[in-house]
Amino acid sequence: MNFTEILEHHLLDHAYFRLPAVAGVSLPVSKHVVMLWIAGALAVLFFVPVGLAARAGRRNTVVGMVEAVAVFVRDEIVLPNLGEDGRRYLPYFLSLFFFILFCNLLGMVPFGATATGNIAVTAALALTTFAMINLAGMRAQGVGPYVKNLVPHGLPVWLLPLMFPIEILGLVTKSFALCIRLFANMIAGHIVILAFMALIFLFGSVLVAPVSVAAAVGMDLLEIFVAFLQAYIFTLLSAIFIGAAVHPQH
Amino acid sequence: MEKLLNPDTGLMIWTVLTFAVLVFVLGRFAWKPLLESLAAREDRIRADVKAAEEARLAAEKMRNDYQDQLAAVEGKTRELIARAQAEADRLREDMVKTAQGESVKLMEKTRRQMEEEQRRLVRELRTEVADLSVAAAEKLLRQAVDKSVKEKFVRQALSDFDKMSKDIH
Repeated sequence: MNFTEILEHHLLDHAYFRLPAVAGVSLPVSKHVVMLWIAGALAVLFFVPVGLAARAGRRNTVVGMVEAVAVFVRDEIVLPNLGEDGRRYLPYFLSLFFFILFCNLLGMVPFGATATGNIAVTAALALTTFAMINLAGMRAQGVGPYVKNLVPHGLPVWLLPLMFPIEILGLVTKSFALCIRLFANMIAGHIVILAFMALIFLFGSVLVAPVSVAAAVGMDLLEIFVAFLQAYIFTLLSAIFIGAAVHPQH
Repeated sequence: MEKLLNPDTGLMIWTVLTFAVLVFVLGRFAWKPLLESLAAREDRIRADVKAAEEARLAAEKMRNDYQDQLAAVEGKTRELIARAQAEADRLREDMVKTAQGESVKLMEKTRRQMEEEQRRLVRELRTEVADLSVAAAEKLLRQAVDKSVKEKFVRQALSDFDKMSKDIH
């Protein structure tokens, strides 16, 4: 039994087919892409009726639940970091939170896969955050002042050539950390569960099975928690970074 | 396993596309109406709370005003009662004083009348006694005593009478 092969089978993406390459990039239709679409479709199917019900003034349990989460995202994540200006970005953050959450949770569904356990997906999400940081910063301050405010005020002029690349690097690092954090968190649980399951075959004994299954169930529960936690953390850190770009410290 | 850390550019493009479409669709059809209804409700609740607070303040102010008015009325009443009491006291004192003065005057008048009466009686008595004496003297004279005796007797009688009237006064 090849553990690496099993891991690769479960963790890596599998392209069903690839669209013809354009400029050296071909778009795959793969398991993770399908998962992204399923997550997006589920979000649309779930939240659009909620939005329509809210617009029509019909309030039921589901609307109330979504409202509670929306209020949490608004009052605990977005507004504290972005101020009143953050209301403009609220749809972005809500979509980000629920998209990541749905992708994370789809990895818990049998025959599903964790798209957010693919570094390409998390890198793309981190890139959107990186773009949002800069766009929101330029929008709030103007392009010139935004670039000027990247470095702290009051620095000696000769330090600027040094500090400017460092601050740019800092921005990139923040986004890179977002990418790696989500990716590693989502994939780690899967690896641990697979390892527990593999123990049964490594020992070659049925007696190990109850222990492994119990441990795997425990990990599953933990993963459900992590799915919510990482969606929250990605959204929160995005809000903090965007907030820092919108309100530069003086 | 190195594929695990090797991002597929095509998948990144799919992710960005999917996410962008999701942000657009949800933003337009889910979050906008939801957040708007939420904001409207919050505004309404805030307005209700504010109105209730204002109503409470108004009620409190009204209550304070009523209390002040009540206190003013009470003070005024007390003052009126006190004034009436003082008036009554003064009136009673006056009446008592007047009555006392009246009775003193009455007694004085009565005393004077009695004195007057007494003097009148004395005067009448004196006239009566004089008349009686004259009548007695006449009777004696008529008994024809000699002239000198008569004379002596009359003189004597007159002097007695004088003495008698002096004794009375």
